[in-house]
Amino acid sequence: MGQCLRYQMHWEDLEEYQALTFLTRNEILCIHDTFLKLCPAGKYYKEATLTMDQVSSLPALRVNPFRDRICKVFSHDDVFSFEDVLSMASVFSEQACPSLKIEYAFRIYDFNENGFIDEEDLQRIVLRLLNSNDVSEDMLMDLAHHVLSESDLDNDNMLSFSEFEHAMFKSPDFMNSFRIHFWGC
Amino acid sequence: MSESSVSALQSGRPPRQPVVHQENQLVEGFSSPPVNFLQELPSYRSVARRRTTILPRDKQSGTLLKPADSYGSHLEGGITKNLSSQSIRKYALNISEKRRLRDIQETQMKYLSEWDQWKQYSSKSWKRFLEKAREMTTHLELWRQDIRSIEGKFGTGIQSYFSFLRFLVLLNLVIFLIIFMLVLLPILLTKYKITNSTFVLIPFKDMDIQCTIYPISSSGLIYFYSYIIDLLSGTGFLEETSLFYGHYTIHGIKFQNFTYDLPLAYLISTIAYLALSLLWIVKRSVEGFKINLIRSEEHFQSYCNKIFAGWDFCITNRSMADLKHSSLRYELRADLEEERIRQKIAERTSEETIRIYSLRLFLNCIVLAVLAACFYAIYIATIFSQEHMKKEIDKMVFGENLLILYLPSIVITLANFITPIIFAKIIHYEDYSPGFEIRLTILRCVFMRLATICVLVFTLGSKITSCDNDTLCELCGYNQKLYPCWETQVGQEMYKLMIFDFIMILAVTIFVDFPRKLLVTHCSSWKLIQCWGQQEFAIPDNVLGIVYGQTICWIGAFFSPLLPAIATLKFIIIFYVKELSLLYTCRPSPRQFRASNSNFFFLLVLLIGLCLAIIPLTISMSRIPSSKACGPFTSFNTTWDVVPRTVSTFPSSLQSLVHGITSEAFAVPFFMIICLVMFYFIALAGAHKRVVVQLREQLSLESRDKRYLIQKLTEAQKDVRSH
Repeated sequence: MGQCLRYQMHWEDLEEYQALTFLTRNEILCIHDTFLKLCPAGKYYKEATLTMDQVSSLPALRVNPFRDRICKVFSHDDVFSFEDVLSMASVFSEQACPSLKIEYAFRIYDFNENGFIDEEDLQRIVLRLLNSNDVSEDMLMDLAHHVLSESDLDNDNMLSFSEFEHAMFKSPDFMNSFRIHFWGC
Repeated sequence: MSESSVSALQSGRPPRQPVVHQENQLVEGFSSPPVNFLQELPSYRSVARRRTTILPRDKQSGTLLKPADSYGSHLEGGITKNLSSQSIRKYALNISEKRRLRDIQETQMKYLSEWDQWKQYSSKSWKRFLEKAREMTTHLELWRQDIRSIEGKFGTGIQSYFSFLRFLVLLNLVIFLIIFMLVLLPILLTKYKITNSTFVLIPFKDMDIQCTIYPISSSGLIYFYSYIIDLLSGTGFLEETSLFYGHYTIHGIKFQNFTYDLPLAYLISTIAYLALSLLWIVKRSVEGFKINLIRSEEHFQSYCNKIFAGWDFCITNRSMADLKHSSLRYELRADLEEERIRQKIAERTSEETIRIYSLRLFLNCIVLAVLAACFYAIYIATIFSQEHMKKEIDKMVFGENLLILYLPSIVITLANFITPIIFAKIIHYEDYSPGFEIRLTILRCVFMRLATICVLVFTLGSKITSCDNDTLCELCGYNQKLYPCWETQVGQEMYKLMIFDFIMILAVTIFVDFPRKLLVTHCSSWKLIQCWGQQEFAIPDNVLGIVYGQTICWIGAFFSPLLPAIATLKFIIIFYVKELSLLYTCRPSPRQFRASNSNFFFLLVLLIGLCLAIIPLTISMSRIPSSKACGPFTSFNTTWDVVPRTVSTFPSSLQSLVHGITSEAFAVPFFMIICLVMFYFIALAGAHKRVVVQLREQLSLESRDKRYLIQKLTEAQKDVRSH
């Protein structure tokens, strides 16, 4: 864990990132500082990358049961560039709009990445949430069926993106819970 | 849910650690039936295109979009559609792709007319300005860092309690500002000769001279402790200060150009703060209410919400994460259990139903009896306290004196301590589902807590207006001998309630929570201490406590204008005390409140408190004659009489307008029109519901057709390949 070359972020870059993401100035600078601390030595911040393990072990993500999916969705070729990290922070920031969060939530929850959330995905989600070894098969099936009966409108045992979006717009807790404060900013 | 036509597409019972995907099971190169087909359908692709205008990165298997069209045409199709709709940030793309999108947008803009360009530019700069303003206001948010750290450590349920407390601090501050602007500021300006104005005092009418006797209690020898008693009960030296209503015996303030009507300003400040509180609470609760309305309609979304939005992504603490996992386990199991119980209830025989309902009726009668007993106890205590307060103060012992002064508060606190325990025991026998049990218990406790204040105020009111054939009382309209300035005395009672409530909260935290924590950490070998354990942060009790304090403030602010300022300080201190208590003495409870539920519940309870506070205020303002010895309303019959008198000073056209609006000829048609509008909206809602049900049925039929066709297509492909 060395230090990258300490270039101050140019003012134009900062303005551009502010225009392209939902982050505030302070948040972008905070993320920039911490990124510099973690990336390998001797590289310009725009070219440096972080591994998935480094990002998974950030304090904000360390205890999250979905951290591997989050890292998979936001990384390119299994590494994180600075802009990937900014995108991730932008989606999880407080100011992000609901449609963006729902889009990425769908990608995160789609474990087998077939474009739909099916029963298999639901059972995996429940297992991750409960994080215990003695969950009965019946309970998993029950819960998956309940979720599908509530939000599967066309009865095909899968949730398409529209159905997921429809369910999440009505969910009162979604916006509150789908937030991460990165790096204590 | 599975039908024979779909069974071929079912993946079968998925294994616990699903390793084997469908694709791997089949022969190489052959597309697996359902999902790939579904991804090719036009509906899927247009939805995907709406979300992302640029193709995402390629993946080996399971691409979200199949690369079919060329990059450029894809882009332009998306751009022209979305040019004016979304800002760039809302696209689900990474930053470099957004940059390209923005460059393309800017080149596109050159082809627009001057007017459109200017419109785009101004809307963008307006949005940027709004954002900067929003960013600045978040810096000004009170206690932002504290609440964020609580959220990270204890979850959103407890954080919502502290946000609620912050909301009450702001509300009380604004109420105090209203009262200050309208009532206190002109008086201060005149008293300290900042502006060249004088007080206007109307002399008393002859026949009322007897009602104006207001003996200020002063004893020859003042003991030291009488200062403390005065501070705690608002009597003595505090009675004449601007803390209480009696100080404001001013009928107007004469400035250079106009006369400021102080009675009218006093009344308007009361109405203004009640209206402001109502509007602010309703605005805050509108979202939660809408969602809860939808929710209760269909037992709706509880599983979707809990599974997709169940994890608080902002948790950073390992122990908090474990707690969240266990609370999710508890909650999901409880929900499935509740489902089972609900089915059991639905399968009850009619005999059992009759038995249960008669039992419930009997138990509800017991609950009412308990409530009646508590109210009667408070009534007796108030009367006792009022009667004995008038006796010679210096003849009594210090402790006895204080006990009598605070007797109503003590009885209220004891009642509020015992009744939840009784209610919790009773509800076990009523055989409701667990979720409903909790809600009903909380509702009963809320009602109990808030109704005790009303009982106290009504007892005082009955004492004030009870005349036992006393000619003086009948002349003045209220019991002049005992209550020469009854508003001040009601204000004193409210002041005492508030002080006592504050002392109790501090005392419980300092003398119960901290020692308990010390005992648990140092004497953990004792079995009893282990069982008792550390304090849990019980949200409903804490919320009821602060709503109780706020209701007292609302009722008392009319009789004691500085009470909102005291309430603000009190809530600020309570915030820090509760935060310290939470961090150092409490363990999180296994039963976690959800934030959305909590917000709605807090605001509902606060609204009930506001409604219960408005009732005594309206009765005292319009029914009970205002005291003639003190206060701004000495020249009026009741407080409300200021309004007709002010209306009579308006120009005649305005007067007739006001009279017209308040007459029956206007009110009855207005009421009928409102009823018609309401019926229209109810009918509209019913029609929409029917349409939604029909559309859902149609959707599932269409989906069945689609699956049938896909299956036929797959079979046909298989036939073709095998030939």
